Amino acid sequence: MSAANDKNDYLDYTPQTFPAPEPTAEQDRTRIHYLNNENTLRSWLLTVDHKRIGLLYLFSVTFFFLFGGIAAMLVRTNLITPTGAILELDQYNKAFTAHGTIMLFLFLIPVIPGVLGNFLIPMMIGAKDLAFPKLNLLSWYVFMAGASLFVWQLLVGGIDTGWTLYPPYSSKYSQNSILYAGLGIFVTGFSSILTGVNIIATIHKMRAPGMTWGRLPLFCWAMYATSVIQLLGTPVIAVTVVMLAVERVFGVGIFDPNLGGDPILFQHMFWFYSHPAVYIMILPGMGVISEVLTCFARKNIFGYKAVAWSSVGIAVVGFLVWGHHMFISGQGYYLGMVFAFLTMLVAVPSAIKVFNWTATLYGGSITYQAPMIHAIGFIVLFTIGGLTGLYLGTMGTDIHLHDTYFVIAHFHFTMVGGMMFAWQAGLHFWWPKMTGKMYSDFWSRLAAVIMITGFALTFLPQFVVGYLGMPRRYPNYPEEFQFYNIMSTAGASIQGLGYLMPVFYLTASLFFGRPAGNNPFKATGLEWQTQSPPHPHNFETTPAVYFGPYEYGVENGLSIFTNENGDHLPTDTTTPKEGVTSGS
Amino acid sequence: MAASTSAAGPVAHHFDSMNQQHATVRLGMWLFLVTEVLFFGGVFCAYTAYRIWYPQDFDAGSAALNVGIATVNTFLLLLSSLTITLAIRSAYVSDRRGLQRNLLLTIVLAAAFLGLKAREYHLDYEEGLIPSTEMIRKMEKVEVVDPKTGEKSIRQEEVLVSKFNHALVEVLDREGYKGVPGKDYDPYRVQLFFMFYYSMTGLHVLHMVIGLGLLTWQFILASNGFFDYQSRYVYIEAMSLYWHFVDMVWMFILPLLYLCGPHTFDQAVHQFKHAIGMSGSH
Repeated sequence: MSAANDKNDYLDYTPQTFPAPEPTAEQDRTRIHYLNNENTLRSWLLTVDHKRIGLLYLFSVTFFFLFGGIAAMLVRTNLITPTGAILELDQYNKAFTAHGTIMLFLFLIPVIPGVLGNFLIPMMIGAKDLAFPKLNLLSWYVFMAGASLFVWQLLVGGIDTGWTLYPPYSSKYSQNSILYAGLGIFVTGFSSILTGVNIIATIHKMRAPGMTWGRLPLFCWAMYATSVIQLLGTPVIAVTVVMLAVERVFGVGIFDPNLGGDPILFQHMFWFYSHPAVYIMILPGMGVISEVLTCFARKNIFGYKAVAWSSVGIAVVGFLVWGHHMFISGQGYYLGMVFAFLTMLVAVPSAIKVFNWTATLYGGSITYQAPMIHAIGFIVLFTIGGLTGLYLGTMGTDIHLHDTYFVIAHFHFTMVGGMMFAWQAGLHFWWPKMTGKMYSDFWSRLAAVIMITGFALTFLPQFVVGYLGMPRRYPNYPEEFQFYNIMSTAGASIQGLGYLMPVFYLTASLFFGRPAGNNPFKATGLEWQTQSPPHPHNFETTPAVYFGPYEYGVENGLSIFTNENGDHLPTDTTTPKEGVTSGS
Repeated sequence: MAASTSAAGPVAHHFDSMNQQHATVRLGMWLFLVTEVLFFGGVFCAYTAYRIWYPQDFDAGSAALNVGIATVNTFLLLLSSLTITLAIRSAYVSDRRGLQRNLLLTIVLAAAFLGLKAREYHLDYEEGLIPSTEMIRKMEKVEVVDPKTGEKSIRQEEVLVSKFNHALVEVLDREGYKGVPGKDYDPYRVQLFFMFYYSMTGLHVLHMVIGLGLLTWQFILASNGFFDYQSRYVYIEAMSLYWHFVDMVWMFILPLLYLCGPHTFDQAVHQFKHAIGMSGSH
């Protein structure tokens, strides 16, 4: 039973608003929530409920992750032998391109904004829905249209340019499905923009009374910064892909050296989006980590403002560093120096976050449930990924390391070690809220450990082999590198096993899991103060927010809500401050 | 405010009040326009880089464009900005017939713009100003040097020339452009300018077509009071923000593409008359 029902119970935290009463078993059977209020297929496909759309995204990105994972296993299997074990040369090019493009455009970019952002942002700020529910549904359909076109093109023709699509190879010589695959990317970009518009408008205009900017959970701050990047970056890649497509259709074009055009200009415009895009991928993950760490360390976040503003700092400075992808592409020498300096600068806000997280852990009462193991994994792996990035951002060392497996290892440490683990942390943290069921503690912790082990075994050897000079994207390599590659492939198989496990135990939890209760992790956020699964409108009445987002480790958190006679303070939303109007 | 509207009323289910809904819709449209600025910004940025590198080729390319149609289109589009603004006023005072009239005027002006634009593309196509790598055979005077005697002679010979180059030089001769091909400008490179011409105007036309569709939809909805002040007038305002943005883009496209080369008033008048079939021939 929840502490909220008994005023004598002790809570070591102060929730942001008064918790809803825990439903009895009888009430739980008859209760209307967002999963059972309508049951037809139509009600799912035409839903404008942000929670259901979040689940739609969950199914689709999991499906695309499976696709990208199969491509990754093809690549890794082929690299077991120095001459290529299973694939033709051309197939190998298509396999690694499929892996890169699917994982980036169809998994990492939409996963946390699409699933957790959709599901959580309105609940965290105490709103009934996102600002534009129909636009939200449209964004899912746009995403599915673009993604289906893209995957279909990969299957029928494949693209072999790598995810960077550099002309003139991509515009003239590659005889594959680039035109329609590019259209697919273009379309999914619009989905990303629509989600960004929705989230910014929601955070600005839909906050519940008392939810000030200083009380906003850090996940919302991170999603806000992410959405700013989506708004400013995505249209540029869209128009760049349009110009590339025009070039392919006419046979001559804007980046065509024959006409005096400049292929380097494409690289500039591509990375103007694609470098900030890595922050689209990592920032939501950072937001998740702030939520999970504070909860499982039972401590307030160290330096709320620093963590919040460093998200915004990453979003701003992240737009000024794209040139570090082009140190040896022929951009100006002094331009390279400026970009190298700015690259060092963008490491600062990320470092602020890591230091603040470790300071949050210091002296906390830490419990190692699955979300926490993933979160700790995130901090360690992301830090390695971030620090190795400094080698690549320095012009001198980059000349040696450019386009080697060192780069591969670096960005997998940030993208997989960072974002993938943050996604797992978030999924495990909020799964009980989404479904109302608790998953197996043993299996979830085991899966987390297997993922981390497999990940380290896959990518740590790649730092070494990259430093020794093994270039990326080559199907063949000298025999002395075989040992490292076999280690990597073995690690990839272990990882693959780890990623499959949640599919089984999370699904099993739906049928056999015990009811999670409203707040299984005893967290402070608004989303935990309503039922699991939540009411179709999230809260029975609009909640009023009294406290900051991470009031953990306090004397008796609930006593703040009661007066000296032990009666609850008025929690009716129409009474408290700031001229609230109720929705009814 | 909250008391005056029922759950089934114009305030959507997830908003507390009409004011909140209005503010959110406005913010949403402004945010969308931010992405649009970056969208066009990308192609303008590429244009700027090449314009700096190849000013004379862009000068020649611009001289081959139909500035007459562009001028008339500019006036049409500015006028449509006025009518859509009047439409906001009509919705604000719940004047349904005025709203419909102003939306219809905007639709007509936009359709006129698009019609003229289509005519311009058609003329470009007829003149052969389409970038391509295609070559054509052509009789040309060639200077031949006799290898034994060293004497030079001029002969008519069939040569392969770029189809685009040939068409461009013809158009520029007709328009009285003073630059010499191969010396002042490189006809082959002018294709770069035309790539920008088609990309930029094409994206602008695409935005206008989408806008035209939305305007038509609003025109149909406007008849039953859907957009009255008490309900959804803010959507007319959001539409006008979008429409003004499309105008603004044209205000940049006009000087970047059409006015960057040499044109005269007489030429513009003549070009427009020719386009609408009022003058006999060139």
